[in-house]
Parts: sequence; C-alpha cells; structure tokens
Amino acid sequence: MSIDQELTGAEIVLEALKDQEVDTIFGYPGGAVLPIYDALFGQNFLKHVLVRQEAGAVHAAEGYARSSGKVGVLLVTSGPGVTNVVTGLTDALMDSIPIVCFSGQVPSHLIGTDAFQECDTTGITRPCTKHNYLVKDINKLPEIIHEAFEIARSGRPGPVLIDIPKDIQFAKSVYKKKSDVTFKSHRIKSGSKDIDRVFIEQLINHIKKSQKPVFYVGGGCLNSGPQASQELMKLVQLTNIPITTTLHGLGCYPAEDEKSLGMLGMHGTYEANLSMNQCDLMINVGARFDDRVTGRLDAFSPNSVKFHFDIDKSSINKNVKVDYHTNTDITFSLKAINEYIESTGITFDESQYKNWWSQINEWRDKNCLHYEQSDETIKPQHAISRLYQLTNQKDTFVTTEVGQHQMWAAQYYKFAKPNRWITSGGLGTMGFGMPAAIGAQMANPNSLVIDIAGEASFLMNVQEIATAVQYKLPIKIFILNNEYMGMVRQWQELMHGSRYSESYVDALPDFKKLAESFNAVGVRAKNLSELDDAINEMVSVDRPVIADIWIDKKENCFPMIPSGASHSEMLLSKYDKENPENQKKGKVLV
Amino acid sequence: MSNSSVYPTPLNTFKQSKRSVLSVIVDNEPGILARITGLFSGRGYNIEALNVTVVDIKDNLSRITIETLGEERVVNQILAQLEKLVPVHSAINLANLKESYEAEICLVKIQFENEQQNNEILSFADIYRARTVQKRQLLVIYEISGTSERINKFLDDLHTISGIKVEKVRSGPIGLGI
Repeated sequence: MSIDQELTGAEIVLEALKDQEVDTIFGYPGGAVLPIYDALFGQNFLKHVLVRQEAGAVHAAEGYARSSGKVGVLLVTSGPGVTNVVTGLTDALMDSIPIVCFSGQVPSHLIGTDAFQECDTTGITRPCTKHNYLVKDINKLPEIIHEAFEIARSGRPGPVLIDIPKDIQFAKSVYKKKSDVTFKSHRIKSGSKDIDRVFIEQLINHIKKSQKPVFYVGGGCLNSGPQASQELMKLVQLTNIPITTTLHGLGCYPAEDEKSLGMLGMHGTYEANLSMNQCDLMINVGARFDDRVTGRLDAFSPNSVKFHFDIDKSSINKNVKVDYHTNTDITFSLKAINEYIESTGITFDESQYKNWWSQINEWRDKNCLHYEQSDETIKPQHAISRLYQLTNQKDTFVTTEVGQHQMWAAQYYKFAKPNRWITSGGLGTMGFGMPAAIGAQMANPNSLVIDIAGEASFLMNVQEIATAVQYKLPIKIFILNNEYMGMVRQWQELMHGSRYSESYVDALPDFKKLAESFNAVGVRAKNLSELDDAINEMVSVDRPVIADIWIDKKENCFPMIPSGASHSEMLLSKYDKENPENQKKGKVLV
Repeated sequence: MSNSSVYPTPLNTFKQSKRSVLSVIVDNEPGILARITGLFSGRGYNIEALNVTVVDIKDNLSRITIETLGEERVVNQILAQLEKLVPVHSAINLANLKESYEAEICLVKIQFENEQQNNEILSFADIYRARTVQKRQLLVIYEISGTSERINKFLDDLHTISGIKVEKVRSGPIGLGI
C-alpha cells in the first residue's frame, strides 16, 4: 500500500487495529456496521469472536483486557447494539478496564431524524465512558482511533467509545499511522512518573515510628503492571508489614503468604478488618476507599496516619481524608521506595511489630473462614476450596458472576499471581463471568479458565455458551446452585425479617441438559461424594463445561460487616446478631 | 497521629457550603458542555451560574466559568473530576488564587407608570452607574456590570420601588486571576 493511497473508513478502522496490534475483536454485526464487517471479511490478522448478544462482547473484551493487560476491543451496531453495551461500559469504567468500543451509527445526514436503529450514542455513553467520539470527518478517523487507544490504556484505564456513521465508513481518506500521530498531553492524562521524595521520606519515617502498620492494596496496583506487584512483594518482605487487599487487589500479593491477611471489607477476614480498624499507619496502594471496604465512615480506622498512592487525583480525599498522597504511577513509587531503603541502608527491626503480629495472630485464631462440612450436602465454601486444591497447580484464570459465590470465591480461592482473578467489583454486574471467561480464554488459549457462577447470574448471559462452543473455548462454568439469588436472600434474612421476596428462582433449567443442548458438556454433583469427580471431569474435558454443583441452599456468606456498621462490628456466623441501631441506619444503605 | 483522620459521616455533618467560582479551559469540541453539566448532575454538584465562550480561535479553546455552592472538600473533588475530562486543559478555583477579579453583566428592563417611579429609578441607576441601553416612554433598559454582589444590590434596590415591572438577564460571573 503506498503511503498516500486512500482507504475507506472501514479499511482505516482495520488498518488502525493492526497498527495497535489488536489480534482479537468481539462483536455482533448489524446494518450500521456492515461496511466494517465487509472489511473484516477475507482478512486474517484479526480474529473476530461473534457473541450472541452485545453485552457478551463487552464483558468478553473486559475479560480479555484483564487477563492479558492489553486493550479489549469490540464492535457493535447502532441503536440496540450499542445500548446493549451500556452496562459493560459502566462496569469497565467502575473497574478501570481499558476497552475500545466501535459502534456503527446511521449515516450523518440521518442523525437527528429518529432513523431506524438510531440513538444518541455519544449522549447515552458519555457518563459511562472515559471518553467518547462521534466521527464527523473521515480525515480525523485515524487520529481519533489512535487517541482512543491511548486514552483507554493510560493513567487510570477505562472504556472509550468511537461512534462511526455509516457514510464515514464508506468515505475515503489517507491513513495516518500511530507513529505519525502526536498526542496532546492534556488529553491523554497519563500518570506521572516523577517520584515524590517528600512523600517517600515521610512514609519511611512513619514506618519507622509505627507500632501497628498495615498495607491496604487495591486494583490500582494491578493496573500499574506486573512489576508493581513484584515491588510490592519486595517492600512487604523488607518491612515485615501485614498486607490486606481489596476484591480487585487479590493476586497482587500471594494469598498464602504469612504476611497476607486476605481480603478486607464487607466480606473480608476478621484479621484484615480489625487490622484496618486498629492500625496506626495505613498505606493505601491503589485502592479507592470504596464503601464495601470502609464500612461506616466515621468509625473507619480512626487512629491511623493514612498514606495514599493513586494515579487518579479525584480518588484522593474523595471518601476518606488522607494525610499524605502521591499521584505517581505505583510501579515507579514502589520501586523508588525500595531503592531508597536499600541505598540508605535502613533496616527494619523484626521485633518492632512483634506485639502487632501477635495481636493479628490472635485475630487469626478466630479462624473466621471456618465452616462445617457435613457428609452429605456440599457447603459452597468447601466446593470452592476443593476447586482451588484441584486446580491450583494448573495455569488458572478465575472469573466470577456477582453474589455469594463471588465472595466465597474471593475468600477460598487463593490467588498467587496478579491478573488471574477477573470479577465485576464496582458495578456488581450479574452475567459478567461467562463472557469474561470467553475473553480470558481467547487471550490465554492454553490456560484453564473457570467462571465461578451462581445459577441466577449465569442465566443472565446464558446465550454465550454458544459462543464458547463455536470457537472451541474450553471454559468451565462452575455453578454453585442454591436455587436462590443468594446474596439477595441473605440480605432479606438479615435485614428484612426473612421475607424472601422474589429471590427464589423457580423453574430452573436442567443445567446438564442445557449444556448438552448447546453441544457443551454438563456435569453435576448432588452431594459431597460426587464433588471431586465432578471437578476433575470438568477440568479434564477439553470442551466448554457447565458444572452444576448443588450446594446448601441456606448457607450465608460470613464474615460480614452489615451496611452501616464499622470494621469492629463484624458478624462471624449466623449466630452473631447485628446491633439494632446499626440495622436501622444500614437498611437504607446498599 | 493526625487529628484530620477522624471525619464524621456525611449524614450527621453540618455542611459549610461556600460559593466558589471555577474557571475551566477546554478544547472547544462538540459535547464538551454536556460532559461538564453531566458531571455536575451525575455527581450531585450544584451549578448556580454557567458561562461558556470561545476565547482562543487559533487554538480552539473555550473558557467555562461555573459558580457552584459546596464545602471545600466537595469543590476540590469537583476540580479533580473536571480535570479528568479529556478535553479539559485546566480547572481552577478562583478563590484559591492570590488575586482574582470577577465581573458579571446584567441587562434590566424596567416598565414604570409615573414620574415619581422614574425619578427613583434614575437615582438608583446613577448611584450604580448603570448604562442606559434604550429609553422609551415608561420603559428603560439598563446595562450594569461588576461583581455579582453589586448587581444583586442594584436589583434589590430597584425592587424597593413599588409598582414597577422588572425583567432581567444575567451572564453569571466570569473571572480572571493574577
């Protein structure tokens, strides 16, 4: 292709994707994107994954991005095509996942006429994207696409949408290569790499002074790249400070290491939450003081000096006022801290936190994740524990849906590496897990990808099992089937007098037959004696599998900090009762 | 140990709302105003006044001035959220500058019925140095500029005259810092 040869808008899209080293795109065709689908036909650098509904495409792109560290890409048509991805875009925005969504639009001259399959795409998606574009000039298309990718992946990552009217897809212009585009720095807002010396020196001083420090690590550490986790591990080992992670931070630090306190927050461990409550120094690395983590704000870690690493300035002092903060990219900050410690020869006395560790070990002795497994009925906690024990030697990725099963997965599946855990945290999108598993499997064809699911969530995007079958993606859907929307039922039990309004899911399909009807494999475990066999069969079959695991229908997820309660007011089991005053206040919260 | 680490819940706090004037430089591109107003409505912030105009044709920049009410922490959060928007170059709170100057423009149409009212109107216009834009029998249009507070006072004074009809339009404050 000569340099100034003109291409159509559709061809420019493909050329730009090639230039951006995109190898996989998720999508669903329709009238307003036919020119791009025509350009896809007969090329072979790009694998297109045809989903069964656009929601599947956007969650698959999220799963692809989370598991690979690359930008996830999807292509949908105008009108319903793009309104179907609104949930996923919002999900990606909340969880800082880099994706680029291309959507078709009615031809320019029809915009505003209520044309067939027209909608105000940029208007609808403005609050749920990091940025969006309506392409009005074919000559700007190449630059827009390259800028979109840059915005999606830089700073705090997020979703970007490009809406392309059909006439622009046919119009011709000269392609501009990524390397020929100069980005304006105010538009990209990439994270600073400049080290804040004062912040680092203050942090070291406080670590030296502190009696009861704790690391509180979130998804920002993961988004900073794999090196951030390595630097974090080094820093934790150097300082001997306990570490707890948020739901998205799982895997940033090996869960089975003795310094790890596990997850904190609403369903976090007793030791993690009490450490947060009683610490005198809190080192927040890439977490955003989410309400699932803090509990009641006025009782949140009342006596600590707080340090906050966050690339996003708007995260600083948003929910919780901190004493020191830095907006420098976490990898650079952590690296600088480790270098500072090594170059100045500072040592940390093993005995400095001796009392703190013995206090933590006392809390650990509560064994808050303990459960009683009978001989018959499978406890959900046991199902996840066995799944972990039978798969942790493999190269495994875990996605989840949203609800009790998600929390049990977070508690009992112990992640050792970053980017292995893909879940919908901020938005809490049921139906996320299976398409996300499809995306993760596309990015990691030789790995084991398991979607830990509940039967209610699974049914929200059940159609995507056909996608997995079509592309021979051997994803494993591990359903903890209790016939309830479990988390809804749990809240109704705790806060609404056990009135289980509409949370029982009657008329469930036979999941084994369902799998078979899609040409996938179905396995089932009705009781404890069948559990291991079901898991082993699920893992060994090289095809998509739905495992229907019948669990205890009434089991609830503990520990739990009810809404409106503080970290020191955890319920550890169904025998713990909530403070009635909190209950009144908490009932109006989410 | 810092005292600043203890903070009350939003529910029980007496909020110290303050008027702030924010000045935002943006790329003049489609949808930018919607991004900004959407940010305010979506996150529950207040817009008391809003002014948008292109200020640099060569670089295609607009300056948006927003008057908002909120406690300091909320205003700082608004600025941080504004700065995250892709087309935003900068967002500042004029109150945080060492020196800043504000002005607003207001057009006032007054319909009156008699000479006595006219004299009262004239005397206020004189005190506030309002400029006559148009004068007809029993009708006058003034232009007054200055700080919003000054304009408020002028309008309050006019309202002390009984029996006249006042219609007004205000630009909202604009400001510059040094």
